[in-house]
This record gives sequence, structure tokens and C-alpha cells, in this order.
Amino acid sequence: MNTLPLLLRRLQFPGLWRWLMPGMLVLFFLAILLWLPWQARQMESNERQEKLIADTLWVEQTIRFQLTRNEESLRTLGRDIGNDNLSTEQMHQRLEQLLNNGRELARVIRVDALGEAIASSDPELHLLAPTPQFLATAARARISGNPQYSQPAAPKPGAAMTMDYHLPLYRGKTYIGSLVATYRIDKLLDEMVPWWFAQDNQITLLDRDDKVLARRAAAGPGHGVYTHKRALDLRGASVTLVTDSIKSEPHLLPNLLVGSVIALSLGLLWSLIALWRDISRRLATEGALRQQMSFRTAMENSLVTGLRARDLEGRVTYVNPAFCQIVGYPPEELVGKLPPMPYWVPEAMDEYQQRFAGVLAGTITPQVETVFQRSDGALIPVLIFEAPLVDSDGKQTGWMGSILDISDRKRVEELNRQQQEKLQSNARLATMGEISSILAHELNQPLAAISSYTTGALNLIERAAVNNEAIDCSTLKPALEQASAQARRAGQIIRSVHQFVKKRAPERQEVALQDLVEGIRALIELQARKYHVVLQTSIPLDLPKVRADSMMIEQVLLNLTRNAIEAMQDVAPGRRILRLLAHFDAAQSQVAVAVIDQGCGMAPELAERLFSPFFSTKAEGMGMGLNICRTAIEFHGGTLCHDANPQGGTIFKFALPVARSGPL
Amino acid sequence: MLHIVDDEEVVRDSLSWLAASRAIAARAYGGAQEFLSAIEGQFAPQGDCVLLDVRMPDMNGVAVFDLLAERGLTLRLPVIFLTGHGDVPMAVDALKRGAFDFFEKPFNDNALMDRVQQGLAGSRQAGAMALVHARLATLSVREREVLDLILAGKMNKVVADKLGISMRTVEVHRANVFDKMQVKTAVELAGLLK
Repeated sequence: MNTLPLLLRRLQFPGLWRWLMPGMLVLFFLAILLWLPWQARQMESNERQEKLIADTLWVEQTIRFQLTRNEESLRTLGRDIGNDNLSTEQMHQRLEQLLNNGRELARVIRVDALGEAIASSDPELHLLAPTPQFLATAARARISGNPQYSQPAAPKPGAAMTMDYHLPLYRGKTYIGSLVATYRIDKLLDEMVPWWFAQDNQITLLDRDDKVLARRAAAGPGHGVYTHKRALDLRGASVTLVTDSIKSEPHLLPNLLVGSVIALSLGLLWSLIALWRDISRRLATEGALRQQMSFRTAMENSLVTGLRARDLEGRVTYVNPAFCQIVGYPPEELVGKLPPMPYWVPEAMDEYQQRFAGVLAGTITPQVETVFQRSDGALIPVLIFEAPLVDSDGKQTGWMGSILDISDRKRVEELNRQQQEKLQSNARLATMGEISSILAHELNQPLAAISSYTTGALNLIERAAVNNEAIDCSTLKPALEQASAQARRAGQIIRSVHQFVKKRAPERQEVALQDLVEGIRALIELQARKYHVVLQTSIPLDLPKVRADSMMIEQVLLNLTRNAIEAMQDVAPGRRILRLLAHFDAAQSQVAVAVIDQGCGMAPELAERLFSPFFSTKAEGMGMGLNICRTAIEFHGGTLCHDANPQGGTIFKFALPVARSGPL
Repeated sequence: MLHIVDDEEVVRDSLSWLAASRAIAARAYGGAQEFLSAIEGQFAPQGDCVLLDVRMPDMNGVAVFDLLAERGLTLRLPVIFLTGHGDVPMAVDALKRGAFDFFEKPFNDNALMDRVQQGLAGSRQAGAMALVHARLATLSVREREVLDLILAGKMNKVVADKLGISMRTVEVHRANVFDKMQVKTAVELAGLLK
């Protein structure tokens, strides 16, 4: 079924073929609709015609029967006459009886062989001069020996039409005259046609020249629609019975039918046109939609931003190629999936679940930065933008998210950070080098001078001893004075450097540990993300303020977290959790801080040398970090100690004094 | 003469005092420019030595050395660099280009003075050699031939025979050679050209 239209569409005849079949069907239907009432009318008309014919036949039969009965009576009379056993009186009686029996008979007369009337049904025997037609009929009857009818005619102009029946009479073989019965044609119709038939039809008798002999039009003239002709089989005369129904052709019914058919057809056509217009509108809309769809598809395919649609249950309903490329899974492995998704990173599962719970609750963060795991295991930092997906009724059906692969950006950020760090450390080193160079130069001068003066003085003393001369104190004195002055100068230099260093003495202020951690959280997370470490901080909100130099403590925390993060770079991703805990130790009036990693832990021999300067386990380490940390913590009156983490890894702990005025 | 070039007065003073304690005549200059202007013109170093500080405000010590080298003085004028902390590579570079030595501050003062004395001696010798060569350069070709034969210990007569000239001419040439070489005897001449 489908292949044909498909094929036709491909052949570029969509309009023609789509409309040909229904068009033809509609035309056929209309033709049948028009033909059916016509046919009904035809049938009705046929039926009427047949009925008329049947009735006409019946009327003819009736007329024939009556005529035959009269003929029978006349023949009986004729036989009696031939046997000559009738008196004139009897004769007359019989004739009268005949007239009484058949009222259509005008009169009956007895003529002799010469054509003279000898008896008549009329009271008096008056005979008109026989017309030629009368004579001719009589002659025909006599010659043939059979009764004959005469052609109907009017005996006198203006008189009613009559028709004679001549019955030749024989006695033995001798012609003895005839019996002539005269029928009044109009009476024939009046008497013999039943009233019910006359009510519906106009009945006419015609002669052979189609001249009207008699007409009965009781119910008005016929309409000439249903007519029937029937010849009355009368020997010697040619009379035709014509019936014409007063019923006209059936009008109302066919008109109603045809009218309704036409109305229906028009309605059908109108609805077809409306349907066609609707369909073409739909087709146009569909075409526009298809174009929009292809436009949209092309757009989605050309995007480098990943797109992902989810329904309200979190089931993925759509992904675009860019998204598949980012996560490395084909669309069929993603569409229809419910969380947990295959691209979720194991160690960040909690974070995803939490966010997903937010999605289900309808609260969604419009912009989120997170990490996806590609099918090959590579971790990709991504930026997700979520927006509600709303259907045409304004009801929300899900969420649409666009996912941006920000690995490049992250890489650049990381590179920048590293460069910045390197630069800073270089600058630090350069400054250190410069300071030491200046210091060396500054100290070298007085030291060299002192050395030269004293050496010179010694040289002189030696020479004097060798030459056995007295030492000239006046020559030695200025040199020694100079040496002393230079020694003082060196002392001054050292004092000034000390003062310079002293200027940067730490300042202890009341700070909230929370603010302090928040201040460096971004820095810690930056490093943590690099090694895919999850940072968990647990700092009670009611923690009292501490008295500390925030810069130093920040340095300590940065140092410790950095060590912790780097210690975990070789453990399984799921275990890379860095915890930063703090609690208030009321007994000591201290805030205890712990930095806990789940890294590789520390060997005992390593732990011993941990705080010694210039000791480092890192290839690039200077071995100063923990040393500085310890000095900083000791400056705050605490100690920096470490412990093995029961879950593996190391715990670094330190405590800071609580500010006296701080809230408790 | 020891030339001390240093921007630090204390160093100049102490080094001068040290040199004096070792009976070395010394002269101090407060900067490169002062030293360069002092040796401008006809300066024939003999028995001279320079103590040159690498870091000076007006001019780098190495640049001063390059100027001296350009003037062809460094062969006869030993230069000892005094370097501070971090200037060692620079001094080593100068050493490769012909500097006499370098000392890193703080230095062993007497070792420095020993080296200064070696430099002075070398300079004295180099200066003398230069003088002899200058005098030799003034000799004519014939006089040079005569000189060679005299140094070979030939008598005037033998010289005359060898060169195919008269005895009288040989004597004139001989007198000229002695005169130009500023010697009085052949023994003195031989000692000079040893």
C-alpha cells in the first residue's frame, strides 16, 4: 500500500495521483446518486404504464364481453326468428328486452331480405333511409354469412356516433334478412367502463382514421404521459380504445430526491474542497516543519556544544553528536538511560546524585562546572547550562542542557597558574639572590678592608722582627683604626638587614577560620581538580575566632593541602578525597585543624626527617615547605604534628589559640 | 708600580697600605676613567701591575681590560681582577683572554701580594724585552748581520771576510750596533739578547 504512493511521490506526480482516485470515486458516486432517482422515476412510470395497460385490457375485455353477450342474445333471437316461431308481439318484446339488458344499445331492428325494416325495438317502426354504409355492411354480412359491425358514423350530422351490428338471418340456406343492433358509441363508454377507471383516465374511442368517436373524460383531460391503445376486435369495424391517464409524470419525489442529491453532492464537494484546502495547509505546514527540522538537525550537528535533553524523571531523551563526541558514547547507549549515567566519574558520584536530586525536585542550578568521564576513561571538565524544556501548552516536560567541553580552557588556566607560580618562585629566588648578592658585596668590602689592614700590619711587625727593628706604632695605628672602623661598618650592615627582615613581622589578628578557608578554597580546588581530588571541608559554623596571622595560616593550609593532594595522585580516583576538618577544643581553648588525605602514607624513616630543612620527597621540592609551616605554627604557640590516617594516608594537625574576645 | 683601580675608598686605602707593608710602590685610582686618563699617551709599562675591581660604577673592569688589550698593553701589563660574589664567570672569561689572575673577595692578602710581585717582575722583564726588540728594530740589515756574527763570537776580521767588506766598514757597523743597542761591550750585548 505504501510503496505505490512512495513511488509516485518519487515520480513527482504527487498531486495528480493523490487526487485521481478520490476524484473518480466522487464522480462515480455522484453519477449513481443522480441515476438512482431517475431510475426510481423510470420504475414508477413503468409501473404506472403497466397498470394502465392492465386496466385498459380489463376495460377492453369488459367491452368485448358485453358486446359478445349482446351478440349471443342477438344470435339466440336470430335462431328463433329462423325457426319462425316468434310472433310479432314476441318479437317486439324480445327486442325491447335486449335494449333493457344492454343500455348501450340504441335500438335493435329486424330487416327483411330486401332491407325493409319489419320490426324494431322502438315503439314505432320508422326506418330512415338506409345509408350506403348500412347497405354495404348488410351486403357484407349477407355475403359472408357472418355477423358484421359497421364502421361507426353519425347517422345525421350533429347526431351522436353510432355503430351497427348486422346479424344475417337464414332459414335453412335462405337469407331472410338481418338483425341490426345499433350501439351508441358514447353510451358504450359510459355504460361499460367502470367508474374507478374513468376517475383516473380519459378514455377515448378512435376510428381507423384516428378520429375521435367518443370520449369519456370524467376527471378531466389526460396528460398524455401514460397512454395505451387497444384495438377492439370487432369484425368489420376498426375501433381503437385509447386510455390516457390523468396522472402526469412523477414530479415531486424525483425533484426532492434530485434536489437532496444535488444538495448532498454540493455539500460533499464543499467538504472535499475544505478538506483539500485543509490538507494543503497541513502539507505546507508539514513542509515548513520538515525544513525547520532539517535546519535544526543541521544546526545541532554543526554545534560543538553538547546538547542533552532529559525528561522530568531524568531520563535522557535526546543527545546531539557533539555530546556523544564529548562523552565518547553512541547516542543509542545514552538515549533512554536513567541515572547513574555511564559518563559519571566514580568519585564524584555523590555530587551528581545530589544535583540529580535537585533536578527531580525542580530546583536546578543553571550553570554547573563538573567532570565527565569519557568512554576511554579520560576525564573531561565540562560546563553545564540547564534550562527547563517547555511544551506547547506551557507545561514543563524536562530539562535541556548544553554541555561545554572546557578542557582546553582548564589546560590554559592550569598552564597560566603554573607559569604564574614559576614566575613567582623565580621572582622570589631572584630577590633572594639579589639580597644575598647585595649582602655579600656590602659585607665583603669591610671584611676585605679589615683583612688587608691587619695583614699589612702583621707584615710590618714581621718585617720589624726579621730586621730586628723597633715597631713604629704610629704607622700601625691608622691601619688598626681603619680596621676597627670597617668592623663596625660590617656590624651596621648586618643590623640593617635584620631590621629589614623584622619589618615583615607577622601580625596577629582575630580571624574566623571559615573566612580564611573560604579565601583560599578556590586555590585549593584548582589544584584538587587538576588531580581529580574531591575537597570536603567540615568547619562548624559556631567555631570561635582565632588569633592568628591570616597570611601565615593561609600559607600553612595551602602547603598542607597541596602536599595532601600530591600525595594522592597515585591512588584510585574514588579514594582521592581531601578533608579539611576543624573543631573547638574547649579544654585547651584552641581550635584544632586537621588536613586529612587518603594518599600513600608515610614511611617511619621518612617521618623522622620530615621537618628537617632541605629534605624533600618531591623532585622539584626545595624542602622548605613543612619547615616553614612548622615555624609558622610555632610562632602561633602551637605545634604541627602528623599522624597516620587509619583509612590510609596521613593526617596533619595543628591548633590555633582562640581569640580572647571571641564569642564562645 | 702597582695600580689599584677600585671605586671603594676603603679597599683602595687598605690595599695601598698592604702594598706599602710589602714595600711595593702603589698608586690608587677611584675609577676606570681616572686610571685610563692617567695612562693615556705614551705609556710603556715596565714593572707595572694593575689590580682591577670588576664592579665599578663608571665602567666595568672587564671593559677596561678590553681597552688595554686593544692598545696591546696587556702583554707587558699584568692585570689582576678583584671580583665580588657572583662575578667569577666574568673574571674567568677575562682570564682566558689574557688577564694575569683573579682574586675573589675576600682574598688572602699576602697571596695577592705575592701574585702582584710576580706580575711586577714579569712586567719588568717583558718591558725590557720590548726595549731590546725596539732597539733591534732600529738596526739596518747589514748591521743586523754584523750583530749576528758578533754574537756568534767572530772577530772583526772574520766578519769582514764573511760579509766581503773591509775591516773599517765592519768597525763602523759595530760601533753603530753598540750605539743603537745602548751597550758598551759585546758581553753586555750578549747578555741583553740572551
